[in-house]
Amino acid sequence: MEPPKIWREKRQRYLALGISCTKCGKRSFPLSEYCPYCGTNDVEEYRLAETGKILYFTNVSMTSDEMAFNAPYCLGIIELDDDIKVTGQIVDCDYNDIRNGMEVKMVFRILARDGNDGLIKYGFKFTSK
Amino acid sequence: MRMNGRNVFVIGTGITKFGEFYDRDSTSLAVEALNAAINDAKIDRSSIKSAYFGSMVSNSSPHSSFSSKCLRECNISIPFTRVEAGNASGAAAFHQAYTSLASGIHDCVAVIGSEKLSDFVKNGTIEKILGSTIDYQWEYEIGATLTSLYALITKAHMREFQTTMEQLASVPVKNHKNGKENPHAQFRREIPLDRFLSAKRISDPIGRFDLATHCDGSSALILVSEDYLNRKGEIKNKIPILSSEHSSDVLALHHRESLTQIKSTVTAAKKAFTKVGIEPTDIAVAEVHDAFPISEILAIEDLGFFEKGEGGNATEAGLTQLNSKISVNPSGGLKARGDPFGATGIAQIVEIVEQLRGRADKRQVSEIEYGLTHNIMGTGALAYVNIFGKEEMKQ
Repeated sequence: MEPPKIWREKRQRYLALGISCTKCGKRSFPLSEYCPYCGTNDVEEYRLAETGKILYFTNVSMTSDEMAFNAPYCLGIIELDDDIKVTGQIVDCDYNDIRNGMEVKMVFRILARDGNDGLIKYGFKFTSK
Repeated sequence: MRMNGRNVFVIGTGITKFGEFYDRDSTSLAVEALNAAINDAKIDRSSIKSAYFGSMVSNSSPHSSFSSKCLRECNISIPFTRVEAGNASGAAAFHQAYTSLASGIHDCVAVIGSEKLSDFVKNGTIEKILGSTIDYQWEYEIGATLTSLYALITKAHMREFQTTMEQLASVPVKNHKNGKENPHAQFRREIPLDRFLSAKRISDPIGRFDLATHCDGSSALILVSEDYLNRKGEIKNKIPILSSEHSSDVLALHHRESLTQIKSTVTAAKKAFTKVGIEPTDIAVAEVHDAFPISEILAIEDLGFFEKGEGGNATEAGLTQLNSKISVNPSGGLKARGDPFGATGIAQIVEIVEQLRGRADKRQVSEIEYGLTHNIMGTGALAYVNIFGKEEMKQ
């Protein structure tokens, strides 16, 4: 894992930031300098809704080295209450209890570890509401 | 001015066996494939004026540049271009080569795809490499792998169209049956349906036998323009490229409206069929991107061979078997032939050209007028569709 990249992204990862366009009014994720819908750069930072529901999910057991400490884990696409969709892990619940449409809330967790001595990357995950 | 450019032909094909070759590097594989293509084309190697190399990882460290080494070993000193488009790098290199001929820049070029994936033996390395074919920042680093995203796509298709596990498993069963007859395939044996169904799930509903294997291999083509043929006189076994199209879609699945359609495939296919002026039903044989069982089901639907939602049913009913309604992946596809990323898109073209030449032996599809290849990157952020025929297009 590259320290400059983790440092550069930490604000948007930790705060779960997207943008809200002051011209067309649309919101989008992730953070960007220009609105992907109308192209203006007149955009404001926007914090994603912290609750939503699961659209699709799967149980990941074969993954990258940095994520392996955590495997198997549940990964899904979440539709947040502000209609923005994000990919995220669903944690702190038994995989067999997870259902389509289940209501979830955003939590702050460790995403990846670079061995025992390396950096730790944090970001959002989801848990049952 | 002609809108479609000059006619372009494949006059030579070369391919190595696909598999795990711990005693060979990517240069060795590329040299074998390129020499085979030159010999097949029966041309003087000095005729080749440019080369396009498709590779995802093997053209960079730690493998160094096999392009330069390959040309040196083949005693060809020409300009070359390295093309990278994830696991569609082969098709991307082919498209660049085609464009250079159709536009009139070159008259004779070589296309080489090579990949050496068996060096990456450490757990998780291939998952990380494939992470660059999906949204690295907001999918891969969140915990997604290419397999897990295809698992979500599979679940979406199962939910929306009641596609069953048996229908999904009938894709690799059929492709292994075809691969048995392909001397270049990594796996030349049949695998029964229940073996796929009972395997351990690596990302449910995808099991460990469902994936195409990431292996070693190389494939090559010699392409020429119509002007080259006019100058050199009749060349036997030439196969015209009737269209070569590509298209894109947003990278992340969470940005797509639907998970059950690969939009880039649909648009590339529409452009390709429109250019040739034929319908999907005119295609007798197709090599499609079957990295996962759902990939082939989506492909045969999105290319227009079957109605949306009918792909699983059609496969289970045997409509995609050799010499049925449409022969899909007679080579064994990515699943049985193996998937060395950069070599795959070109290996698909090698198979369709051999089919159109009538040289596919036991895998030969009868009565072919048109053949199609389909190669995508990741979950479909890029798609390449090519159509080949027996007769060239009238300008």
